[in-house]
Amino acid sequence: MHIGPGVSGPPGTARSVPGWPALAGRPVVCHRQRVRQNPAPVGTLIVPLWRALAVFRFTALGYVLVLYVRNAADYAHPLVAVPVLLGMIAWTVAATWAYARPRLRRWPLLAADLFVALVPLLVSPWIIGRPALADGVPTIAVAWLAGPVLAWAVAGGRRLGVTAALVLTAADLAVRDRLNESSVTPGVLMLLAGIAVGHVARLIGAAEDRLQRAVELEAATRELAAATRERERLARDIHDSVLQVLAMVARRGADLVGEAGELARLAGEQEAALRALVTSRVTVPPDKPAAPVAAGPTAAGSAMAARPATLDAGPVDLRSVVNGYASSRVSVATPADPVLLPGRLAAELGAALGAAVDNAVRHGGPQARVWVLVEEEPDTVTVSIRDDGCGIRPGRLAEAAAQGRLGVSQSIEGRVAEIGGTVRIVSEPGAGTEIELRVPSPDTTAEEYG
Amino acid sequence: MTAGAAVDAGEPIRVMVVDDHPMWREGVARDLAEAGHEVVATTGEGRQAVRICAAARPQVVVLDLQLPDISGVEVIRGMLAEQPGVRVLMLSASGEQQSVLDAIKAGATGYLLKSAGPGEFLDAVRRTATGEAVFTPGLAGLVLGEYRRLAATARPAGDEPRLTDRETEVLRLVAKGLSYKQIAGRLGLSHRTVQNHVQNTLGKLQLHNRVELTRYAIEQGLDD
Repeated sequence: MHIGPGVSGPPGTARSVPGWPALAGRPVVCHRQRVRQNPAPVGTLIVPLWRALAVFRFTALGYVLVLYVRNAADYAHPLVAVPVLLGMIAWTVAATWAYARPRLRRWPLLAADLFVALVPLLVSPWIIGRPALADGVPTIAVAWLAGPVLAWAVAGGRRLGVTAALVLTAADLAVRDRLNESSVTPGVLMLLAGIAVGHVARLIGAAEDRLQRAVELEAATRELAAATRERERLARDIHDSVLQVLAMVARRGADLVGEAGELARLAGEQEAALRALVTSRVTVPPDKPAAPVAAGPTAAGSAMAARPATLDAGPVDLRSVVNGYASSRVSVATPADPVLLPGRLAAELGAALGAAVDNAVRHGGPQARVWVLVEEEPDTVTVSIRDDGCGIRPGRLAEAAAQGRLGVSQSIEGRVAEIGGTVRIVSEPGAGTEIELRVPSPDTTAEEYG
Repeated sequence: MTAGAAVDAGEPIRVMVVDDHPMWREGVARDLAEAGHEVVATTGEGRQAVRICAAARPQVVVLDLQLPDISGVEVIRGMLAEQPGVRVLMLSASGEQQSVLDAIKAGATGYLLKSAGPGEFLDAVRRTATGEAVFTPGLAGLVLGEYRRLAATARPAGDEPRLTDRETEVLRLVAKGLSYKQIAGRLGLSHRTVQNHVQNTLGKLQLHNRVELTRYAIEQGLDD
């Protein structure tokens, strides 16, 4: 390990990282590679397989040398084998070094490995003698031949393993004049090894993919959970402090007149708005800006402007839409369980409701209060809007429509009729107005809207 | 529902205030004291509330549903076990709908939002003490929804509580913000009859809840 001038600190090991005993003594290359591959450690599972292959190569080489020493006397040209054996030793060392580096595990190295393995095979007839080979005596490469087969299998799976095995088996058989059982066996074994190891390598690759996906998923889940926790904490905080103070101000000031009373009323509005915000557990936003402070002319208008966002969404909890209209003047009553409607239905119904609430708040007089009730029955959903304002004079609606002012009839009746529902308006001067919107619920209109 | 009927309009009521927010606790206690009622205990913890309930013997417990230690339902069950005649008026800052419904089923008889004015609050305490059910329109909506849910998921046994048509009508009008007096006028009933109808809707739900709990206990072998 060479460290150039100007590099300060400890020599090229990861010992400089305190508390990381596993890294101590490792070459810097490994450490750098780990850093680069963060956060997904690709290719770490396959490392043991490459290590096992290195062990196999040296073991096979030892076997080659033992066989040579034992059988050299019977060989035709034993001395010629010496440079070949030296070459095999050199290649075993070189290949082990090269395969340990992921960057080098590419085609040039794999091809070289295969060609080098062919050398001892092809010179075997000369060294050992053709008659002996024809009798089934192993070539001087013996099991060492399997090295590239295994390397190809680990690098490229079953197919490459089989390819390498076929090439080497073909070469092994080519150097023999006659074939018998014992001369075919090594080839079969190499083929099986290529298939088995290739299969295992593929499995490891797939497992690694899954592991990485799981790691990513876990990280994402953890982020989401953290965000949810933070949101819940905020909601708790708001509930414990802001909401209480606002409610207190509203309560204390309720009996005051003038500006103080107005402040109390505003505090009440804010309290209702915040309460709706922190208790909304549904992710679909209500068709309403976050703070329904201005229960005036703009409220329903902006509700309709925001409407298209939820038009084709999946099932929407109608309660979240309706709760968006809650304020100190608008009381909302719903069931405890979600009232799920197809997005389109909920959006149209929400818009009709918004128009009705807007109308009640605008025309009911400054003291008018509004009550909204959501009811779910097996086949219908009913939304009732009642106000205690000054009511609508009989014939007033027809008059307005005739004058081309389509407000109530268009916004409410048109929308509700479009989703197959009905509208009932009961109003008496001085006794407020009651509007009832009834729509068939998803069960009966599933084909059309589901 | 007549156990507390002895309470007259002017008579002081023994009240316990359970709320984890000190400012609220004090404000509510002061309002009650100024109105001539007797605040027998205040606490910010549910377990403590259950513990001191028997000794303090309140007629009405003003209970915030969100307490730091145990749920509102547990507090109500615990207190009713210690002091069966006690009446619980829930006060909540946020419309925690399911927990409000659970508390009602567990035996609370009144519910009020914290944003209600002092006059409304004192009236609710007095009505709760007399055994009257104090409904907000929101609570009426929840109770209506619960009966419809029970009807929709009815088992073959068919012992789910059901509302009569009249009760449904009354509950709907409560949920639409009409006062008992307005409802009485509209339906041609007496004020007292409207009150009884509303009370019955709660009574049936609470009875059903107790039956369900007993059934569950027997099924689980916890009845010994």
